[in-house]
Amino acid sequence: MKTKWEIDESTAVDLKIGGFAKTELILNNKEIPNHLTARRKSEATFELPGGRHAKLTIEPQFGTSPLTKLYVDGQLMVPTPKNPITCGSCGSIAKPNDRFCGKCGHAMPSPESYVHEKYVNDATTAIWMLSGLFFVSGIILFVIMQSQGSDALSKLAGLDPNSQFPHPINGVNYTVAALRSQIAWEPWGVLIVNLILAIVMTILAFWGKRAPLAATLVALATYAVVVVTNAIISPASIGQGVVIKIMVVLLLYRGISGALALRTASA
Amino acid sequence: MPSPPAPVSDRVNHNFSFQWAEINRAATLFVLLLASSFILGMIERINSSPWPEAVVSGVNALIVLGFAGLRHKEIVALLGVPRIAWRNAIELTLLSLALLALMSIYFALIEYLGVPMLRAASEFQKARWGLGAMVVLVSLMPAVVEEMAFRGVIQSSLEHVFDWREAWIIQAALFSVLHLLPMMFPSHFVIGLGLGYLRHRSKSLYPGMVLHASWNALVLFQELS
Repeated sequence: MKTKWEIDESTAVDLKIGGFAKTELILNNKEIPNHLTARRKSEATFELPGGRHAKLTIEPQFGTSPLTKLYVDGQLMVPTPKNPITCGSCGSIAKPNDRFCGKCGHAMPSPESYVHEKYVNDATTAIWMLSGLFFVSGIILFVIMQSQGSDALSKLAGLDPNSQFPHPINGVNYTVAALRSQIAWEPWGVLIVNLILAIVMTILAFWGKRAPLAATLVALATYAVVVVTNAIISPASIGQGVVIKIMVVLLLYRGISGALALRTASA
Repeated sequence: MPSPPAPVSDRVNHNFSFQWAEINRAATLFVLLLASSFILGMIERINSSPWPEAVVSGVNALIVLGFAGLRHKEIVALLGVPRIAWRNAIELTLLSLALLALMSIYFALIEYLGVPMLRAASEFQKARWGLGAMVVLVSLMPAVVEEMAFRGVIQSSLEHVFDWREAWIIQAALFSVLHLLPMMFPSHFVIGLGLGYLRHRSKSLYPGMVLHASWNALVLFQELS
């Protein structure tokens, strides 16, 4: 992970976080010794040309890249993005730390907005991941259940369809014919349910580009319902994938907070 | 006569704390209703009596009433006589009938395709509960409680954060997912949109309650017949 801050024309700070949370802090192409690590909250203070004080902090974030912040004389700096920053009013290119557009004077987003945007982007990524997860798991479960269903159906092959199956299943008594229908339907049911969820998450991911707050709220509600429904169907699933569940909920929750902060800041 | 709620554009407060509190209110109600569905689901794994469902319905009603109380001015205004011209009332009635027809076709289609359907009245029938009890617990109570919850508390809270269209879509989405069955997400989302639109146009919860109860009653009587 690389982050660059262009403080002014002659001052640039680079932070590189590599494997095993190893960090490199570079000021104007010269490495600065530091004790920074991405494994826990850490900070480094150093001097910039012109006697300005700089402080760089790293905060690990569960489930996503660490949050890095650079303060110069107490003011939060905006990282240099991959694409140039443009004014929301006239579209002209602005520098990352400009408070106002140099061409039309329109107020530029505050540095805090970029932190909120990170949370929103992380939430959108989580929604896309959920969409992919539901799609892939739907197909995998369909294949597995089809195979298991074929085995079960072959065992029922010789039985009279109108006769009662000797053992109740989940407390319900079935005729052989009804049981065959249920077994034949189940893989398709699982596939359709997962495809519906994948489509819902995809729609929310696209909607999130225009309305991130609304989309993330609905995504979190939908995910919570999926977890609860799985828990009702199979209580053992409550303890499965707890880390992933917590990570997804946290990402979506922070996304809601970030999206609301952006929304109220721009209102 | 309670004053009508302020126009939506006036109600969107741009303060972060205020909006966060409104989202929290809607989310808390949603989570409590989801938790009660979870508890009911777990009980029904071991007990097929209709009593747990009746008790949970009562608890949900109390929860929703509590939240409605926190928002009593807006809810009381929504419990007034619908403020709508006759022409618009006819238009909305036709829309409601079209929605009922569309949902009937949707459920007939998925049943035709062999999708196993949950029977709302099966536990009540097995326990030999009377028709009156089934009408109250399957048709009336869910309609009143869910309208108060989604079109009342949740949509009102969301309208303090979003414009009416976004609030309308979000409450419909929350309404659809709270029914827990992904197969019903599309149908219940459309139903939620229809009910939310009725509430928006009539400035009242009653038309939605009538439509919702009618739909529930239609499902109930189809099962019983």
